[in-house]
Amino acid sequence: MRKYQFFGLGKIIPYIKPYRKEMVIMVVLGVVSSLFDSIYPLFNRYVLNHYIALKTLDTIVYFIALYIFVLVLQVIANFISSYMISKVELYVGRDLKNASFNHLQTLSFSYFNTNNVGYIHARVMSDTDRIGTLVSWRLMDLVWNLSYLVIVFVIMASIHLKLTLILMVLIPIAVVLIMYFQKHLVVLNRKIREINSLITANFNEGISGAKSIKTLVVEDTVQHDFEEDSNEMQKVSIHATHYSALFVATISIMSSLALAVVLSAGGRLSQDHLMAIGTLSVFMSYAIGMIDPIQSIVEVFSAMIQAQANIERFSTLMETQSDVADRQDVIERYGDTFHPKKENWEELYGDIEFRDVSFHYPDGEEMVLEHFNLKVPQGQNVAIVGETGAGKSTLVNLVCRFFEPTSGQVLIDGRDARDRSTLWLHSHIGYVLQTPHLFSGSVRDNMRYGAPEATDEDIWQALELVKASDIVKKMGNGLNSDVGEGGDLLSTGEKQLLSFARAILANPAILVLDEATSSIDTMTEKAIQDAIQTVIKGRTSFMIAHRLSTVVDADVILVVRDGKIVESGKHAELMEQHGYYYELYSRQFEEIQTEKAL
Amino acid sequence: MKKQFENNRQLIFYFLKGSKAYFILAILFAAAASLFDLINPRIISFTVDSIIGSKEAGLPAFFKGFIQGIGGIAYLKSHIYFVGVFVVIVALIGALFRYLFRLFNSKGAEKFVKVMRDGLFEHIVHLPFAWFTHNPTGDIIQRCTSDVETIKRFLSEQLTQMLRIVIMIALSLYFMSTISTKMMLAAAIFIPIIVTYSLFFHKRIGETFEKADEEEGILSSIAQENLTGVRVVRAFGRERYERQRFESQNTIYTKAFMKLDILITWFWSIGDGISGLQLLTIAGLGAYFAVKKEITAGDYIAFVSYNTMLVWPIRSLGRVISDMSRANVSIDRIRYIMNSEEEVDDKDAIEVDMHGDIVFDHVSFRYNEDSPLVLDDVSFIIKKGTTLGILGGTGSGKSTLMYLLDHLYDVSSGHISINGVDIQHINRDYLRKNIGLVLQEPYLFSKSIEENIAIGIPTATRDDVEEASKIASLNEAINHFKNGYKTSVGERGVTLSGGQKQRTAIAQMVIRKTPIMIFDDSLSAVDSETDAKIRKALDENIHDATVILISHRITTLMQADQIIVLNKGKVAQVGNHQQLRSQEGIYRKICDIQNIGEDIS
Repeated sequence: MRKYQFFGLGKIIPYIKPYRKEMVIMVVLGVVSSLFDSIYPLFNRYVLNHYIALKTLDTIVYFIALYIFVLVLQVIANFISSYMISKVELYVGRDLKNASFNHLQTLSFSYFNTNNVGYIHARVMSDTDRIGTLVSWRLMDLVWNLSYLVIVFVIMASIHLKLTLILMVLIPIAVVLIMYFQKHLVVLNRKIREINSLITANFNEGISGAKSIKTLVVEDTVQHDFEEDSNEMQKVSIHATHYSALFVATISIMSSLALAVVLSAGGRLSQDHLMAIGTLSVFMSYAIGMIDPIQSIVEVFSAMIQAQANIERFSTLMETQSDVADRQDVIERYGDTFHPKKENWEELYGDIEFRDVSFHYPDGEEMVLEHFNLKVPQGQNVAIVGETGAGKSTLVNLVCRFFEPTSGQVLIDGRDARDRSTLWLHSHIGYVLQTPHLFSGSVRDNMRYGAPEATDEDIWQALELVKASDIVKKMGNGLNSDVGEGGDLLSTGEKQLLSFARAILANPAILVLDEATSSIDTMTEKAIQDAIQTVIKGRTSFMIAHRLSTVVDADVILVVRDGKIVESGKHAELMEQHGYYYELYSRQFEEIQTEKAL
Repeated sequence: MKKQFENNRQLIFYFLKGSKAYFILAILFAAAASLFDLINPRIISFTVDSIIGSKEAGLPAFFKGFIQGIGGIAYLKSHIYFVGVFVVIVALIGALFRYLFRLFNSKGAEKFVKVMRDGLFEHIVHLPFAWFTHNPTGDIIQRCTSDVETIKRFLSEQLTQMLRIVIMIALSLYFMSTISTKMMLAAAIFIPIIVTYSLFFHKRIGETFEKADEEEGILSSIAQENLTGVRVVRAFGRERYERQRFESQNTIYTKAFMKLDILITWFWSIGDGISGLQLLTIAGLGAYFAVKKEITAGDYIAFVSYNTMLVWPIRSLGRVISDMSRANVSIDRIRYIMNSEEEVDDKDAIEVDMHGDIVFDHVSFRYNEDSPLVLDDVSFIIKKGTTLGILGGTGSGKSTLMYLLDHLYDVSSGHISINGVDIQHINRDYLRKNIGLVLQEPYLFSKSIEENIAIGIPTATRDDVEEASKIASLNEAINHFKNGYKTSVGERGVTLSGGQKQRTAIAQMVIRKTPIMIFDDSLSAVDSETDAKIRKALDENIHDATVILISHRITTLMQADQIIVLNKGKVAQVGNHQQLRSQEGIYRKICDIQNIGEDIS
């Protein structure tokens, strides 16, 4: 089956097609180049059979001129073909990267929840590179070496058929040997990579766990564990080298074997004056040089087998469809992700209703919501509380249409959310994350993320509102200040305040706040609390809260436990119930109060 | 104190311990392999001239003897396949040496990296804790992995390759000169030309590559940020913007690599041209000298073979030399780690009975000379076998106080003593082995739960582990896991909740039965009920240990023999619960609040 699909190449044909002209030139010139390369020994043959045998230099000027002519042609052919190879490699790689990245922009959260960032990142960055290399360099290796082998054997056969046939016997032997070694080396190299990542993890543990290692005084234990891995690494690496060294030795013996065959059989012919010395020398050159191309061809096939995995992963990504896709009629009216038709967009007022909603996550089976009903009128503040990992994000995921309900409806301003485009909804939502996410670039770039038209004045105003203007001023370069990769140059609290300002600038009708669990200093915490009060004013808001002190004033508090909503109501009502909320609240209360007293 | 490495050479030689001999042998084998490679062309020229032709062979004496032994040239003339056999034998010996070269080179390389990796790891785990706080983890790991790899490549690939090339060139030139000195010189003239031009190119290629690599880094982080920030992107509906951002950087990146590829293409093409000219020169001169009868047909064939064998080594020499210069940066980066000073004990450090009074005497501490005081003149005494409770807000310095006691940091001024001996004079390992410190955010190792609990006590049995986890109220949770105590924690195993991690850390300490036990807010993620259960179990098992409890909960602290209230690095109040409860102050305020907290209902 695999053979018919030809290493899965069929799936990437659309991405290669635009470069078929380059590829044709590449292949043609590759053949030309291999032709020239196989011609060179013939020059030596002429030197031996003509100049040296006849003791004359009569045609030397033409000889030199022809040689240089061939050399120049070959250099030009090589130059152009390797330019084409690079172009195909890089452009195909670029197109594949764009295609996969753009496709990712349309996928829903279920994809991102089941695949980790490192995995997806490798699909975009490295699979695409490998495929690019496959259709350029690997392909070219195949073409060049095949054509070189064919040409060389044609030349040899035209000189002496029998000797050529004897040499051909060596080909299958060489192929079998090379394949044997290749197979072992692939396995060993994979093992080396695995151990290598273990060693990196070990270093990570030794560094991140430094405090524990010291307090437990287990330096020797961890050192011992480390040495076990590094011993294993040493062993496997040497084992791998053993194979690759045997491999190289075998190849060189094969070459010499070919040479020996030619020297003894051809030498006999020369003795009998049936073959000129120059011709014998040409045969010897070809014989020595015939094993390398065979090796290259086998390697290309092995590379193709490995690249098949890259192609498969890439095409799987491209075939993944979002499970929150807009209906066709919705796309027609409101536009798609990359081409919105904003002229048809309605305002979003902010009434939200869950009507008989049941839901389970695509990767789970348990229903986390069953026939859930909740009306959230415009301007209301909904708080969602519960322990870490209890599943507090579910409601928010549904409101934001990061997931679709399994059954039932989420109504936005009285209409099913699915009646309008995802982008329309998202353009009206402000989202402040628990771990605030800034993009590398300037403060201005980040502030404008949700509001591309915002002026500097608007930005300052928003910063002022959440009391973050001092942070920006302190950074030295105003709105042009760089925030570092992922906002690294700022503290978590500062990032959080900036992301509040960003949310305000977008002026969303619906606001989602995922409150931070990490402990930040009291001053910043106060600033963030104030900022929250400022931003939720007048908007429908959902707040995933870890600090219960912040939810006391919420219009509705939903209490989540083990993925399900177990209690709901206002703070006072829930306290009276003496249930789970009461327990959570009491536990946190003493801690918070202690902090306040100190 | 361990030795400091003044320069990169010292460091390399330090790590070469145990691998030097392998490398030297590898080079010798490489030389032998080259020598055998160079014999074949001579066999060919001998065959052509003396077996096929009829020239008197100018062979070394022992070869002549050998040929005489098997029956002279005449015998070979009638049994020409013998030459083929000889070629294969030479090839086999050559291949054997080549195999040995690679094997020993790899043995050397792997031994070298192993020594280096182990050395780095050992050094790192013995560095003082403060070192980790001002060296970012990612950077250290980078040094320990990719820089180590660079240095390994430098030694086992670049350095040995360069030596091999030099040996190969020298031997080839020698063999060439035995045929014709003039032709050898003609061939040799091209060597400096090729090396110079390739050095010239490789400098530029290196620079262009760095630029391209940077662009790749930017592209990669745009993708990374888009993926980690997928919620933000979706929530703000900015997919189109992201697409433009990625595509435009992708174009820049592709152009940068195109530029690099074009440069490399030029490099190859010019190299092909020069090599072609060299081959032509030898062909032309060979014809000329053969016509002048200075060389034979066999000589010509042999010389051309030698010349062909030289092409690749010479062409790669420039690359090898320019790559080698890059290793210096990596060695510098490793040297930085190796030159950081490890924790060292006083020469006369002793071991004292840890069942004794702990005294903090006017202890002050700051992380750096220019940073503010974290602890300011703190003094108190913990009588042996008693329990001390510490109450304090975030940043009050209570954790730091414990780190000082465990000698993770040195005090800035003042003294801490146990049983009358300043901890500065107590053997560090001994001190820490006798202090059980449960951290606020414990770090668990990627091993099984059982191994994690027993990590401080290699001799612990399963019973010990189970007993400890019972005390820490962890056994039920463990029995809940499919693999029980064998469940692996972290990366590829189960993710434990915050409370479970804390309880694992408590079990980790309980099993060690240390004379001093410290709980640094270790029950914060555990609910009150479990908290009480654990404390009760601990009380029954602690016996004569000195205990320090850090907590927010008055209920946790109230039974302590002595309680300290720490505020902004200073001791605000000292006393037992009764005393502090009846005093005006922070403690009473908190008692009131927490009582009110319970009275809210």
